[in-house]
Amino acid sequence: MKATWDIFCTVVDNYGDIGVTWRLARQLVAEHPCTVRLWVDDLRAFERLCPSIEVNAARQWQQGVEVCHWSAEWQTTAAADVVIAAFACQLPTAYMEAMAAREKTPLWLNLDYLSAEDWTAGCHGLPSVKHQHVQKYFFFPGFQAGTGGLLREAGLLAQRRLFQQNPLAQREFLQGLGVAPTAGARLISLFAYENAGLASWLDAMAADSKPTHLLVPEGRILPDVQRWLGVDELSVGAVQVRDALTVQVLPFVRQDDYDRLLWSCDFNAVRGEDSFVRAQWAGRPLLWHIYQQEDDVHLDKLEAFLTLYTEGLSASAKAALSGLWRAWNAGQDMAGHWLAVQENWPELTEHAEAWCLEQASRADLAATLVQFYLNWI
Amino acid sequence: MKTGKELKPGTVIRLENDPWLVQKAEFTKSGRNSAIMKTKLKNLLTGYKTEIVYSADDKLDDVILDRKEATLSFISGDTYTFMDTTDYTMYELNAEDIEAVLPFVEEGMTDVCEAIFFEERLVSVELPTTIVRQVDYTEGSARGDTSGKVMKPAKLKNGTELSVADFIEIGDMIEIDTREGGSYKGRAKN
Repeated sequence: MKATWDIFCTVVDNYGDIGVTWRLARQLVAEHPCTVRLWVDDLRAFERLCPSIEVNAARQWQQGVEVCHWSAEWQTTAAADVVIAAFACQLPTAYMEAMAAREKTPLWLNLDYLSAEDWTAGCHGLPSVKHQHVQKYFFFPGFQAGTGGLLREAGLLAQRRLFQQNPLAQREFLQGLGVAPTAGARLISLFAYENAGLASWLDAMAADSKPTHLLVPEGRILPDVQRWLGVDELSVGAVQVRDALTVQVLPFVRQDDYDRLLWSCDFNAVRGEDSFVRAQWAGRPLLWHIYQQEDDVHLDKLEAFLTLYTEGLSASAKAALSGLWRAWNAGQDMAGHWLAVQENWPELTEHAEAWCLEQASRADLAATLVQFYLNWI
Repeated sequence: MKTGKELKPGTVIRLENDPWLVQKAEFTKSGRNSAIMKTKLKNLLTGYKTEIVYSADDKLDDVILDRKEATLSFISGDTYTFMDTTDYTMYELNAEDIEAVLPFVEEGMTDVCEAIFFEERLVSVELPTTIVRQVDYTEGSARGDTSGKVMKPAKLKNGTELSVADFIEIGDMIEIDTREGGSYKGRAKN
């Protein structure tokens, strides 16, 4: 008999919350003996990632997952065998009562944020508060042994390799997005929060001897791109050329298509949590715009990841990549750092694939969650 | 009532009717703007120890404790004997009970500590917020920096390592803030 899982997601801002939980829900259903309900409080945000969502439906099935609208007025429902509160969201009180009322106590997990910091392994899997006799546990995704790992679907890397080895498939995919890559150009995707350092990076790419085709999915960075281009409007499909730089705006795409976009590009600028992990599975060099936190604690998280990620790189490549990431996250001038990254391009490209393989050698997040449940019962 | 964020070594909380002493509490900001407190707890009735992670805003029943002033009398192996400064009663604690302040506990220290009692039993000790300790070893100043912004490692008499200002020398007395694991505050005034 399949275990029932309830995943709760509140969309606080952006698409990271729903991006991660939707991916997890689909993977649990596809690869494990699980029946999954995904409770989401904002179906409109979900619709951006999954256009087939009926935004007014209280319940619906999407790719094997029962998607339920988590409305302010909670309707009584039986609790599942496994309950995941994603990113420390607060479960409805009535649902917690339903958890306590179950004959078989459910496993209650807080699926926390991704961080490369050492403390995550020390906190992963530890118990927390109880609601009556129902114990909550903290579950931390991560990059190191002792954490819950990263979301990675079975066969993802094989699919990615096949795609990257097939220029026709790549061309067809890009054509579907209206992209005809500039001949000989370096293809770069740009998904980021607002960033004061963008103009200097675009200046550097425009002045480069090698052409760059920059693909910008709709998002928060777009006004900065528009400002640099000096145009009043920048809608989906718009193509603007400034010297060696071609800028093209893409629509916000489904998760699967975003993967293919990352796989198609030579370099990916990503943000937050979900796209950050997906870019690592692309096996291509990346630039991470980390979510900004109070007291600049995000900078510690950035450094923790850089420490892990740059291990094994030459001093030159390490300095180049770290410099670029730090400048990007501080909104500083990117030009010199971008030049340094280009000087170390072959090594950084090789390293991105090696890092991907190293991470893929660990159990993925869905598998570790299922194993945690099996160990617990 | 205390929140997860307010837990600190020496706090006693009630979980399912049992009193649990917080022996260690590590505060960490996880993601977005949420935070957690990782705690090491000891059941004061059974001696059982466990680790629990709390969200910063979790609400917990705390136990009102008696507090008295005490000073360290002597150390014998893993046993630390403190003396009540008013009636001179001696109380023993083992190293684990004072794990959080242990790096700054050393033989001969004269700090007036807060001894924490649960049902007339000493369960923990808190150091003053600011203490003064002597630097036992540190490298010489590398850059001649006098601003206090450049830091270097230093060792106290009991082997505890911490970062101090570059201008601090062996034998200097330094002020240490004992909260959140302990950190260098400045050179002690004579």
